[in-house]
Amino acid sequence: MPVTDYQGASASFTNFGRSLLSMRRDQVHSMEAAHEATSQEIELEAFQKQVAERFNELSSVDSDQLLSVPWIRKLLDVFLCCQEQFRSILFNNTANLNKPPMDRYVTEYFDRSVKGLDVCNAIRDGIEQIKQWQKQLEIVLCALENQRCVGEGQFRRAKKALIDFAIGMLDEKESNTSVAHRNRSFGRNNTQNDHKSLGHFRSLSWSVSRNWSAARQLQAIGNNLVAPKNNEIAATNGLALAVFTMSYVLYFVMWALVAAIPCQDRGLQTHFYVTRQFVWAVPILSLHERILEESKKRDRRNACGLLKEIHEMEKCAHHMNELIDTVHFPITEEKDGEVKLRVHELGLVYDGLKNGLDPLERQVREVFHRIVRSRTEGLDSIGRGNHE
Amino acid sequence: MEPPGNDVVAFESAEKIILRWDSTASEDAREKMIFAGDRYEIDRYLQAVDEIQRSMEFATLSDDQNKANSAIQIAMARLEDEFRNILIAHTNPVEAESLTDSSPLPEEDYEDDSPLTKDLEHQESNGSCSYRPTNSIREIDLMPSDAIYDLRCIAERMILAGYLRECIQVYGSVRKSAVDSSFRKLGIEKLSIGDIQRLEWEILETKIRRWIRAAKVCVRILFASEKKLCEQIFEGLGTAMDDACFMETIKGPAIQLFNFAEAISISRRSPEKLFKILDLHDALSDLLVDIEIVFDSKSSESIRVQTVEILSRLAEAARGILSEFENAVLREPSKVPVPGGTIHPLTRYVMNYISLISDYKQTMSELIVSKPSTGSRYSSDPNTPDMDFAELESQTPLALHLIWIAVILQFNLEGSPELREMVGDDCLRKLTGKFRQAATNYQRSTWVTVLHCLRDEGLHVKGSFSSGVSKSALRERFKTFNAMFEEVHRTQSTWLIPDTQLREELRISVSEKLIPAYRSFLGRFRSHIESGRHPENYIKYSGEDIETAVLDFFEGYQVSQHIRRRSQ
Repeated sequence: MPVTDYQGASASFTNFGRSLLSMRRDQVHSMEAAHEATSQEIELEAFQKQVAERFNELSSVDSDQLLSVPWIRKLLDVFLCCQEQFRSILFNNTANLNKPPMDRYVTEYFDRSVKGLDVCNAIRDGIEQIKQWQKQLEIVLCALENQRCVGEGQFRRAKKALIDFAIGMLDEKESNTSVAHRNRSFGRNNTQNDHKSLGHFRSLSWSVSRNWSAARQLQAIGNNLVAPKNNEIAATNGLALAVFTMSYVLYFVMWALVAAIPCQDRGLQTHFYVTRQFVWAVPILSLHERILEESKKRDRRNACGLLKEIHEMEKCAHHMNELIDTVHFPITEEKDGEVKLRVHELGLVYDGLKNGLDPLERQVREVFHRIVRSRTEGLDSIGRGNHE
Repeated sequence: MEPPGNDVVAFESAEKIILRWDSTASEDAREKMIFAGDRYEIDRYLQAVDEIQRSMEFATLSDDQNKANSAIQIAMARLEDEFRNILIAHTNPVEAESLTDSSPLPEEDYEDDSPLTKDLEHQESNGSCSYRPTNSIREIDLMPSDAIYDLRCIAERMILAGYLRECIQVYGSVRKSAVDSSFRKLGIEKLSIGDIQRLEWEILETKIRRWIRAAKVCVRILFASEKKLCEQIFEGLGTAMDDACFMETIKGPAIQLFNFAEAISISRRSPEKLFKILDLHDALSDLLVDIEIVFDSKSSESIRVQTVEILSRLAEAARGILSEFENAVLREPSKVPVPGGTIHPLTRYVMNYISLISDYKQTMSELIVSKPSTGSRYSSDPNTPDMDFAELESQTPLALHLIWIAVILQFNLEGSPELREMVGDDCLRKLTGKFRQAATNYQRSTWVTVLHCLRDEGLHVKGSFSSGVSKSALRERFKTFNAMFEEVHRTQSTWLIPDTQLREELRISVSEKLIPAYRSFLGRFRSHIESGRHPENYIKYSGEDIETAVLDFFEGYQVSQHIRRRSQ
């Protein structure tokens, strides 16, 4: 397995907030002042540095790109890179991992990562849900786009689809706040006068049990996630810090996914306790803050998911709906122009989603697989070690 | 071409029908369903729709186009409702009998998980879970054909008018509910990976069993039938409509179904999980053929990929567990022999384990041959077992355990031809040799001193040429023999040799040395004792008494101190 390469680590050790070597120098017990960095230390430093770099890049995004599909995909890419690097570290340090307390730290990490698997599955469901909404908007586009003459019929069709879309979104919001609406039994419902009197069926029920909660899952992942003390880091040659870093990355990525994508019982109130002493903590905490800010905005407080594209879908649909309500026949050229504009707008949102959702789904699956693989390998090597 | 006048008339009367059934316009239209009414009404409506469609193609004036468009939209909205209504009317959950597989497994779960029950289950499941590469798909009719006909009529028109997305939506949402409902009937649960990790393995075993049964029904009957329904309604009507509707219906449930198997394949490995993991692996492997058939389109690729991944993980898990187990046995540090010399529980566990493994021989061979373990311990010849028996020479308690393994192998292989085949005659010969040696050692260690009492030398008075026998020496001998024999009898009666044949063999081998020696000794020297005082203190037992006493050996019971004596 190749050791992940680093760039110019030897020159820039002093640049980091708290590099491992500087901590060792501070250590009273370690008198190795003229200490040369071992390859293990280099590897661990590089890990810290690269995690920081990757998150810095993610954090440098404009606010209109934050939590968009492309950005989420970058986030997952970052996770996969960090994961691979971490895996390499574990592989290169198997002997050290079998001794306490490292075996406990590593096993804890793997337990956390397994909790991430359920989040991946929930996110996969959520992406499917977004696809359902997207299909409604597709109908709107089909009705209004590229028509030689947009007649009343097309508008009614678009309107109907927009109503279905709104019901779908509302359904999702309500089900996150109330106990009802889950698994509605079907049956003819003639009491309502609405043309949907035959009952609107939520076409997607979650594949998780009723009492599964994304918020609780996140809490479980972040449970007892405390930074190792300096003496612990030194005692484990820096490995404890690597494990903590990876745990934190996992925690943040899962949190961001839940923030963005609809899932059962989303809750973003999990806390992020980490001091800014770690290089990578700065960008991660900054992202966390920004996302939390977004969630508190007036028009996003009840969002099913903070994904930019969901917001855009909602806005477009809302505008379109309003516009349609003001259309009278025969349609004026001005109105027709406005409609074309809105349609174009909607088209852009739709295209973005269409091209982005499938790859996103595949990436989420990839994250799932890598977590499983890393865990299996890791637990195996610990298990073997314990018997030697 | 017909004169324009007729066209207009046709259009207008069609439009009238459409407008009459506009559910946004009238209460009456909302309350009644066209397709629930009589055939005449249905046909009339459909013809009206067709008429509007036709006129749309020929309409030149934008006004006419507008009117036609409008009418079409109203008609499509109506047809969508009708479509939904027909679907709902026929989403009765499938009858339980249709849902069961042809396999004879009973519905209740086995509470008793004895090896016998496990064997039975396994044999039965092996029976219905064949290795034939043919599929066992069984489609059932989910809907009466007249409903299908009506649905097809509607779908045709919706697709023609460009409203296929609405059609797919409605179809998917109603049918998916039906599948969800069937899932509940089959007992398919929504369990997260976390849930599964927290459950006890015994409970999971039950769930796995249930899942295997349910999955077969799902893939071979439920999913296949839904696919057939889509084909019946949508085939030929538009670009891959039937596939789109099928995926809309089935994708979620399929993922939910396989998530369980995936969660099991991820669970932490430990030896007792091997067999159920193999069961799951085998079941999924069998289903793969059917999965490839049912999920044969591009859009269902992710499902196929997922099942292949799960299968490979299960195989990995099985290999991993076996490896672990091997390591654990070889490293077993326990040197404490079981009191009573019976079979060490570990040995018993190992033997049960190995016997069960032999039942899975075919699968295990495939799994292991495809990825054999590496390491110096392993010989290059897959047929030679690699156990090194050098340590037997030192006769540690572990060695005794291994002897018993050999013993059980020897005597149980009759009932387990696979195991015998796997172990191989060569190995068996070696083990048997070791066992014989151990038996000899036993004899030697226990009986040599006892038999020593019955030897001739030392009894004759030195120097005397006459047949003078030292009475005191003789008395000593008898006393010693009695004491020793009683001691051996006392302890070795409590020893348990579970295998009856071995027990017999050992007793016979004891008897055939001991009894003739004792009888001969008695015969030659009893007169000397009987001529003295208190002969009964020395000659306590007859030959028959000793014979009978030997029968107590290795029974595992404590016997009374006194060996039964026949009345003199």
